[in-house]
Amino acid sequence: MASKDKLFRSLVAEHQEMVVNTCYRFVFNREDAEDLAQEVFVEVFRSFEQFREEAKLSTWIYRIAVTKSLDHLRRLKRKKRFSSLKRVIGIGDPAEEIAAPLHDNPADACTDSERTGILLDALSTLPENQKTAFLLSKQEGYSNQEIADILKTSVSAVESLIHRAKKNLHDKLYKYFTDH
Amino acid sequence: MQVFETTVVLQGNGEIDMKNRKVNIASEVEKTIRLADKMAPLEVNPLFRVRLMQRIEQEPRERTHSLDFRLAFIALLVIINLGSTVLSLQTKKQQATAMSSEVLENLSDDYTNQEFAYYDQTNENQTP
Repeated sequence: MASKDKLFRSLVAEHQEMVVNTCYRFVFNREDAEDLAQEVFVEVFRSFEQFREEAKLSTWIYRIAVTKSLDHLRRLKRKKRFSSLKRVIGIGDPAEEIAAPLHDNPADACTDSERTGILLDALSTLPENQKTAFLLSKQEGYSNQEIADILKTSVSAVESLIHRAKKNLHDKLYKYFTDH
Repeated sequence: MQVFETTVVLQGNGEIDMKNRKVNIASEVEKTIRLADKMAPLEVNPLFRVRLMQRIEQEPRERTHSLDFRLAFIALLVIINLGSTVLSLQTKKQQATAMSSEVLENLSDDYTNQEFAYYDQTNENQTP
């Protein structure tokens, strides 16, 4: 038990930065990213015995991080849908409409928050595998091989996913800026 | 001739406006996509590991609690199921007894009817 604890502590120390930043890429919010990272490590602790060494330990941990982040985004989407339904019925809570701050620096928040919102909306319309490949490719430390391992696919498939994600994102944003 | 020239100038201006608008849109799109590149990596909160270890220490207790609740819920479901089965069986039994007693009553009513009392009547007639 003590050796498991020791191993777990060293795992956390080694991977916490990568896990927090991976979650941050998906949720664009520090608090949510840290909460998700905690959930990731709790999951790692729970199912440590089930790790089969079919993949690298780091890949397994980052895969859990991606899954948890995507789950969180799905939950947010459902919540958003439900709150808009509540608003239509007339029982909506106005506090739910206030978005969480995306930056620690208020100056950045003033200049970038609107643009970040637009990017998040566009990203949320992408298929999950395209979104994951695109966001991970933007993070330092992930090679295309590692992304392929996380997504359980080939490197060429990852390259194609990133290419399609960029094109879709471009088209969606172009349409958005043409309409507004 | 002057009207023609004005139309050409206006058309030219329209095309330039259109071109400018397209350039603006393209630059907005680029700026927005570049945000994903611009995201600076986060420094992990120094308390992150402390909070995590606290959570991990609470974990086994929480798990046994959740297991207890699950077991209690399953037991409750089983009790409700058994109870409803016993109740429905009892009502069926009562209904069956009620029906059989009703049939017996009907039969006895039928045979005590005057129309079927032929032998009794004849007996009565024969006696002096």
